[in-house]
This record gives sequence, structure tokens and C-alpha cells, in this order.
Amino acid sequence: MAGLELLSDQGYRVDGRRAGELRKIQARMGVFAQADGSAYIEQGNTKALAVVYGPHEIRGSRARALPDRALVNCQYSSATFSTGERKRRPHGDRKSCEMGLQLRQTFEAAILTQLHPRSQIDIYVQADGGTYAACVNAATLAVLDAGIPMRDFVCACSAGFVDGTALADLSHVEEAAGGPQLALALLPASGQIALLEMDARLHEDHLERVLEAAAQAARDVHTLLDRVVRQHVREASILLGD
Amino acid sequence: MLQKREKVLLLRTFQGRTLRIVREHYLRPCVPCHSPLCPQPAACSHDGKLLSSDVTHYVIPDWKVVQDYLEILEFPELKGIIFMQTACQAVQHQRGRRQYNKLRNLLKDARHDCILFANEFQQCCYLPRERGESMEKWQTRSIYNAAVWYYHHCQDRMPIVMVTEDEEAIQQYGSETEGVFVITFKGILNVNKHRAQIEAFVRLQGASSKDSDLVSDILIHGMKARNRSIHGDVVVVELLPKNEWKGRTVALCENDCDDKASGESPSEPMPTGRVVGILQKNWRDYVVTFPSKEEVQSQGKNAQKILVTPWDYRIPKIRISTQQAETLQDFRVVVRIDSWESTSVYPNGHFVRVLGRIGDLEGEIATILVENSISVIPFSEAQMCEMPVNTPESPWKVSPEEEQKRKDLRKSHLVFSIDPKGCEDVDDTLSVRTLNNGNLELGVHIADVTHFVAPNSYIDIEARTRATTYYLADRRYDMLPSVLSADLCSLLGGVDRYAVSIMWELDKASYEIKKVWYGRTIIRSAYKLFYEAAQELLDGNLSVVDDIPEFKDLDEKSRQAKLEELVWAIGKLTDIARHVRAKRDGCGALELEGVEVCVQLDDKKNIHDLIPKQPLEVHETVAECMILANHWVAKKIWESFPHQALLRQHPPPHQEFFSELRECAKAKGFFIDTRSNKTLADSLDNANDPHDPIVNRLLRSMATQAMSNALYFSTGSCAEEEFHHYGLALDKYTHFTSPIRRYSDIVVHRLLMAAISKDKKMEIKGNLFSNKDLEELCRHINNRNQAAQHSQKQSTELFQCMYFKDKDPATEERCISDGVIYSIRTNGVLLFIPRFGIKGAAYLKNKDGLVISCGPDSCSEWKPGSLQRFQNKITSTTTDGESVTFHLFDHVTVRISIQASRCHSDTIRLEIISNKPYKIPNTELIHQSSPLLKSELVKEVTKSVEEAQLAQEVKVNIIQEEYQEYRQTKGRSLYTLLEEIRDLALLDVSNNYGI
Repeated sequence: MAGLELLSDQGYRVDGRRAGELRKIQARMGVFAQADGSAYIEQGNTKALAVVYGPHEIRGSRARALPDRALVNCQYSSATFSTGERKRRPHGDRKSCEMGLQLRQTFEAAILTQLHPRSQIDIYVQADGGTYAACVNAATLAVLDAGIPMRDFVCACSAGFVDGTALADLSHVEEAAGGPQLALALLPASGQIALLEMDARLHEDHLERVLEAAAQAARDVHTLLDRVVRQHVREASILLGD
Repeated sequence: MLQKREKVLLLRTFQGRTLRIVREHYLRPCVPCHSPLCPQPAACSHDGKLLSSDVTHYVIPDWKVVQDYLEILEFPELKGIIFMQTACQAVQHQRGRRQYNKLRNLLKDARHDCILFANEFQQCCYLPRERGESMEKWQTRSIYNAAVWYYHHCQDRMPIVMVTEDEEAIQQYGSETEGVFVITFKGILNVNKHRAQIEAFVRLQGASSKDSDLVSDILIHGMKARNRSIHGDVVVVELLPKNEWKGRTVALCENDCDDKASGESPSEPMPTGRVVGILQKNWRDYVVTFPSKEEVQSQGKNAQKILVTPWDYRIPKIRISTQQAETLQDFRVVVRIDSWESTSVYPNGHFVRVLGRIGDLEGEIATILVENSISVIPFSEAQMCEMPVNTPESPWKVSPEEEQKRKDLRKSHLVFSIDPKGCEDVDDTLSVRTLNNGNLELGVHIADVTHFVAPNSYIDIEARTRATTYYLADRRYDMLPSVLSADLCSLLGGVDRYAVSIMWELDKASYEIKKVWYGRTIIRSAYKLFYEAAQELLDGNLSVVDDIPEFKDLDEKSRQAKLEELVWAIGKLTDIARHVRAKRDGCGALELEGVEVCVQLDDKKNIHDLIPKQPLEVHETVAECMILANHWVAKKIWESFPHQALLRQHPPPHQEFFSELRECAKAKGFFIDTRSNKTLADSLDNANDPHDPIVNRLLRSMATQAMSNALYFSTGSCAEEEFHHYGLALDKYTHFTSPIRRYSDIVVHRLLMAAISKDKKMEIKGNLFSNKDLEELCRHINNRNQAAQHSQKQSTELFQCMYFKDKDPATEERCISDGVIYSIRTNGVLLFIPRFGIKGAAYLKNKDGLVISCGPDSCSEWKPGSLQRFQNKITSTTTDGESVTFHLFDHVTVRISIQASRCHSDTIRLEIISNKPYKIPNTELIHQSSPLLKSELVKEVTKSVEEAQLAQEVKVNIIQEEYQEYRQTKGRSLYTLLEEIRDLALLDVSNNYGI
């Protein structure tokens, strides 16, 4: 097999999308009753589930409590069956820790933590064949569902770079091909970047374009998430008999 | 809006485990179609190149075509090609990066009128692969589906042609959608022998297309349209528009005359095309003749390049460069074609070797062999080493192991053979006896050649290459070395031989077959009879006994007993054969006339064509037993190996080919019913003119010509209903009874042995041919058989010509004969001469435009006038009002002469000299049957050749005698010296040609 052609001459990607097109996104909020907030998102074949508890009192050692703001505690795990090869330990490995840390950074930037000093917010994300972007988007919805005040949505999207073209929202095949991959979490209203992460080499000249592609994709995600939230609120209000 | 689909892939990991992977697949409503005919250009958002709008149709190559013939698709002449994404991916995944990049560049190049259509992303074109569907099938299905969508997308305004190699796809999709054609065009170029310059035909190979009117051959008119293809090439043709179609000419015309068909009205127009490509060249060795001196001079004195004329009319002249043109003038030479430039009228070739002088018997025979690609080099030492030894010092014996394995019939059965006189290779013997329960046992014992010829041994490979023994008019070339063919495998009288036997147990009264046994045996043939003797015995005439060597040394009493036994056996055998024959006749077996049919229909005749043979009943008896054996073996091997058995089929003929036969018969008032072999056989029997036996013979031979040849095939490549043998009216048939002279029989023997071991649950020794290999082998054998037939026919013609050559047609009595008209053309008639078995054309209008007229004394002369052709007669009217009419089946007197030809074989020319039947002054001659004459003819020609050689020797003798007589000095006279130098010079020439 002569290496997979990620972007054809006609501008199609392997799965039939064009360069800037997102995968299909489907999301629901409030999937769990016992949690404060929860959300489920499907981005293509990536499925992520986020649960938020809090704000509540710090559990465990009180020493961790922050005097001026709330502690955001993030945990990431991937389902054992979510990847091609079954995973032994779904959490606690280096990759999960890193993902948890990144999520924490992102949401510390987004949640108005100063409103809840000395308290804790737990975000648990579980993802199938997870990517950072799906997790962030799911968590955003879950946090919104929990009613925790935020500056803005946090919308995340990945972007890659193939043959001089920036590709938005990489699929697993495109990730696995090993090109540069950039993860971006954006606060769409202000255009502020909550997190930018890239662990491959990319020429400086291209960065702008990849970033722009990722940002555009994130804004598109925002439109979708916004629609989901409004839909959810409408349903909720009908239930409340408003 | 995009639609999401999921594709499930099963991948294999490096550890060998399978991995189930789900991938997304997004479909969209609008994929750019890149067609100028697109109804919604805005939605399709074309960027990049568009297909040109002036093409007549779009071509969509199937994935396999893209993979294998990308080079052809790269031609800038090909326009309007749509590559489907499915096909491109097939190239990418299976043909590697280089090939794929070529395709990409092709698509990028603005000069090429081709586009890619991303059918897999179009929501209407995408077809998910079904469970269990093979990748190949799915790809073809997707491409076809996309083609249909594309056709409708362009609002049905542009026909689309999908090109595929997949026969099944053609059948499946060929007629599904209007306007989308699924085709593959491939055919073999056949050049019309008699009109080499103008006409050629392409017979389609399994072509199926929507144009249902394309059932006939395609006419290729003129050399230019033939586009450098040579007779026998597999070519691709393009059909011309209907208004350019031409008809084939029906007038008779000689090879050397120019296109004079212009004035005559050609027949109905038929599909006409031109060759656009040669898929497979069929270049072989060609026999050519150098131009004579005068012609060379006209070509230019110092021309190093010389145009030579091939012996075969269908091959164009070949340009070769040689310095020896002058020395090679009188020889037949083998050349080979090297190349044919697109700018050249003639192909280039080179000289290979010299065959012999023009007109020389050996040279001409060698020519016939080369032209039929028959190689008859003697068997090599390695091949002969494999042969068993049988010399007087160490005679061959039956080995004890074999004796144990085989059934011994030496004591229990009376085995005998019936063959023509002087036959060396006896490969079949018969036996019949009464069993204890009163039933009869009929046995056919065939020489066990496979015992001596191991699969894939040197001798086996050689035999496979030869495929058959070649019989020419005066000689034969054996398939197996003579130690086998004439000795160890030949079932001679009085010696122990290995055999493969089939034995049937027959009901004593009804001759129903009760049981059948196949197996290897040891036999000792008691009598080696010849047909005439057997017939005499059958008729109860016991005086022939003296001719049978086996009876010579016996005393009177045992002789009488043995004789009775033998007579009983022959009588019983004939009785059984009659029954079997009657049963087969009931199903419609054909009795046909003509050399070709003899070869097809029965086992014995083809060798003996030229040997005098009265139609004796014994012939039929033997033939019937052989047909029975072949039939049962065919059944057996087919049952054991339904997909890899070698059988022989004779497909039913096309009804339209019979139209000429029906017309002819109607002229005589007979009705020929050709609907089935039964009705045909019956109506042929009825169509008998009591006054003219030749009519029936001619009708039979016309029926034969209308039929296709019987062919070997592998059962795996044919449906069961196609196995039928039309001529013999049997559902399954094969060749089993002549392993000494046919390779097909050797294969069948091996299959039968394997079938027997399979029945006994034993391991099958050696590998049998797979269906594919067997198919290939069948093609080879069929091809060789055809070559054998051609060479036999050509050598007979050669002898006929040599026979008439020395005779002066004006004076010699034998050159004038009776002829029968069997077909009518616009400017002449076709004649059959029963006395010599010659068929040929006679003109009613000569080259100067004069027509034939017959005076009151019925002698013909040439006068100005005109010809008028009717359904079954032709009238010649002269300007002074006389007219003469020739009807079908009229007897006329013809003069036979030879039209000598330097470059080609000589041909026989017929000239009508009277419209009355020829009265033979010598009544004896009438009673001589034609085959008798044929063999006589061969003898005579051979003799005259020998005489010529003798004459040379005599000359030398004369000189020596002169010495004695005139007491000249023993030293050389100046005269002889000069003579010798002259001879040397000649020798020099003949020695040099090889250099």
C-alpha cells in the first residue's frame, strides 16, 4: 500500500471532507441525573462524556484549598474498549495525567473560579478514542449544565497540516499519519486562547494558517455548541412548565 | 449538507491478528462533475479543467483497465475520459506510487481531456460494500453505478461507454441502462485470402454490447484501415458511422488483379470499422520469395532493401535488407518481421534461412510446414534416452510388477485389430466374448502410451508441443518416436502389450449396457486384420484366409476352429455396432461428406483419407466401437473431475450459415430442415437425386462447411449444456482411442487413470492439469490440429498441381473432366470436379470483359456480351443475341490447367469448354473412385520427382560410358572440367545461402 493520501488533488480528505470541514458533531447535555452537570458529545467517531461536580467543599486535604478561587480538578480516562487495541489501565498513565492537566489549565482559564474561593470543581471526562478537543467540548457543556459561571464557552478543535493545506478537525487516520498536530482551546467571543498545544515541528510560516484553521473550526464548534445549549435550555424550560 | 456513513474495515496487524476499525465516510450532494453539460454549474462548483464539449461520448474505464492499460489511456487522442475515484484508488493501492503518480499527472495535465470524478463522496453514487462481496466486484459495481448517475446528471445528453475486461460485468450490466454501454472489443483479424489488398474481417471474441445488430464480423476495408495489423493479430477496432459501411464483394476475382470490384454492386453493407490498436501480435516465420531479376531492376540497381513477397497471400510484402537478393532468387526463404514503422507501407524483416528451390517437392513441402508453424526436427538424444529398449539383443518384456497390477487378458480373450493394410501404429484392438451368464462382453483395448510417457518427461513435453501426428499427402511426421509408435505401443499381433481397456457387459438380446469396467490390462492381439479381409470374413467369404499371416502355419483342423471363432466375433461385433449406431441415429447423428468432416467425426478416417477405401461396413463397425469407447470415457472422466476433464464439443451451427445450403437444395426441389441435427440428417438422406449421386454429396459437403469445427475444451470453462457433440449426437465426447497420434488422448488416458485411482480411494499420482492449464492446453491442441488439417489440405493441393503441371491442357485427355456447378457468383461459377475431388472457380467473363457463349455444338468461346445473375442460375448473353444459362448442379465440361505462380503456390484453373456433361471415352475411368485417383496421383508425382533425380544420375553414367566408348584419356577433358566448374558455382550458391 502506497502511503495513504491524506489530501487528494481534488481537495478531498480520506473520509471525504474538504480541508476546513468539521466532522459530524452531536451533543447532549444533562445525561446524568446525580451529577451537577453532565454532557455527551460525538465528534465523528470520537465520543466523550463529561461530568461536573461542584462547586463544593474541598475534599481530602484541606491544605490544597486556594484562598482566592476555586480549585479545578480534572481527571481524564479513556474507555478500555475505545481504541483499536484494548487498554489495560484506563487511567493513571502518563497520557491521561497529561490530558487531565491540560484540561485543568483550560478550564481554570475559562471558569470564573474566583467566585468560589476555597471550593473545588471536579470535571471527569471519559472519552472513547478520545482527543483533547472532544474532551474540552464535552466538559464545557457539562460545566454549563452544572451552572458554573464561565467567561465564555471553551471550544476546542485540532488542526493539522498536509501538503501546504491546513486541515481542521483531524480524524484518527489523519492523526496516526504522524503530521504536525495542533490542539487549540478558544474562548470564541473574545478570541482568547485558553490553551494551545502542539508537539510536532512545524515551520513558523505555516503556524499562522494552521492556527487560523483551528480557530475557525473552533468558532464553528461554538455555533454548534451554542445551538445545543439553547436547545437544552428550551427543553428544560418546557419541562419546568414555564 | 454532509452525510455521515461508517465504513467497517478489517485490517491485519503485524502480529497477524485482525483488527476491526470503523472509519467515517462523508458523502455530499455536490461533487464537481467537470462536464460542460452540467445542469447546475453553480452547485457543482467546477474548478480546474472541464471535459471538452465536442466529444461523442464519455469513456469510463473500469478499475482493471485503468490498472493495466494506463499507457493507452495516456494517448492524447483519447478524449472525454472520466476516471472514477474508485478506479484511481485501486491503482493507488495495488499498483504502487509510480503508477499512481502517472495517473495524477495525467489528471493534472491540462492537455489531456480527462477528469476525476469523486464518486465515492457523492451521496447517490456511493455504494457500501456488501457482506461477502469481493473487492473487485464492488469496485466494478461502484464504477458502473457512478457511470449511470453521471449519465443522468448530464441529463442523458451524452452517451457513456464503460470499458471493462470483466465478462461478467458485461453480462450483468450490459443492457441495464439505456445510454450507458458496457463493452469490450476484441477480435482476431482475418484477411480475406482472395482479396488481400482490400478486405479483412474481424471476428469478435465474446463481444457483447448494446448494439445488438453487431452480431456479424466487422469488415475492415483497405490497407489503411487495417493499420499495420497482420492476419491473425488480435486487434481493437473502431466502428465507422453507418453511412460509411461497405458491403463485401461477391464477384470472383483473381489475386493478382486490381480492385475491379468498383463497377460491380457490392452486397448489403455490413459493419465496417478500422483497426485502432493491436493487442497481441501474431508474427511468425513467413516463407517468402525474392523478386525475379527483372523486378529487382525495376526496384533500382543498388537497392539494398528489397521487397519480398510472402507465400501467404494474406501477408503484406516485407522489406528486408540483404546483399544476397540475386543468389536467393530461386529459393523459398524464411523471413521474420521485425517492425513496422507507422510511416511505412511495408513491414521490415530479416532473412532467416533457405528452405529449398521453388517448384521443388521438398522445398514446397517445407514451405507448407513452415507456414503452418509445424516443426519436425528429429527427436533429441535426451528424449530418446527415456525410451524403453527393444532390440533383438535385449527384447522388451512384460515386467512382473506390471503383470501383478494389470488384468491379464492374454489367455481369456480373443483380441484382434482391424486396420488399413500396412498400418504400423495400431492403437486400438477389439474383443468380444460370451460370458458365463450368457451376456456378451465387448472390449476396446487401447495402447497404454501413458505407461511409457511419464508426465513432464522430455518426450511428454515434445509430444505436447507437436500435439498430433501430421499426415501430409505422401508422408507423415510422428508425435512419438517410432520405438513407441510402431513398436512398443503398437498392438501388433502375437506379442504381449500393455493396454488400457474398457469392457462392457451387454445384454445378450437387447445389447443394453449392463456394466462397464475400465482399467489397465495386458493383451496379446491374436490377429492383425485389415479392413478388406475383415469385410470378406464378415460376408462369409473365407477364401481370404490365405491372406492372413496368422493362419498360415496352422494345420487344417485348428485353423477351421479358430477361423470360426474369429468370424463369429466379427459378426457379433458388427451386430452390436449396428445397434449402437441405430440408437445414435435416433438422436440425430450426421453422416457427412467431405474430408474435413471425416477428420472431425471419427477416429479412423483422417489418416486414411488418401489411402483407397471403399466404404465397407467394417469401417463403420470399428468406428462405432471407438465412438462408444470415447463416449464412455468422456462420461467417466467428467464424473470424476467435473471441472478439469478434457472433452470434445461440437457446437450446433448457426442457422444463417445454412441459408446457402437451403437455397441450393431448393433449386433441385429438395427441402432441407436444419432446425436440429436429427432433421438435418433426415432431410439430407432424402435429398437424393437418383440420376445424379453427386448432388447429395455436394449438399452434404455444403452442410459440413456451414458447421463449425469440433474442439477440445476443459469442462471447467463451459456450462454443461455446451458439452454436446452435434455431429455425433452425444452429450459427452472425448478422444481416447488414439494415444499414439494425438496428445489429447494421452491427457484423457491420464485423467482416466486418475479417475480409477480415485474410485479405489487411492492417491492420485502426479498432478492433473488445473482447469486453467487445461484450457490453455486445449487451445494449443486445437490450434495444432487446425495446422495439421491445413497442411494436409495444402499438400494435397500441391500434389494435384504437380500432377497437372507437366500435362499440356490442350492435348492431354486427363485434363478435361466433368464438373458440377455448386455455387453462383456475379461473374462466374464455383465448380466441383468429382473425379479429382477438386473445387474451384470458373469465370464466365474474362479479363477483357468478354463473356462465355456456347454454340450449337456446345463448345464455348469468348464473345462480347453481358452476364445476368439470378437466384440459382446465371445467364450469359452475347451482343448478337445468343445466350447460355448455367443452373446450379448443371454438369459441364471443364479443362483443368495450372496457373503457375512464382511467389505463391500454384493454383488450379478451371475453364468451361462446353456446357454439356463430359462424355468420357474410356468407360473404365468412370468406375474409378476419386480417392483412388488421389493416391495414384501422389504416387505418380513422387515417382516423377524420383525420375528427375534418376535422370541426373543417368547423365553422369552416360558421360562415363562415353569414356569407355571413345577410349578417351582418363584425365579430365576440358569439357567436363568446365561442366564441373559450372556445377561448383551452383554448389557455391547453395552452400552460401546459410551464411
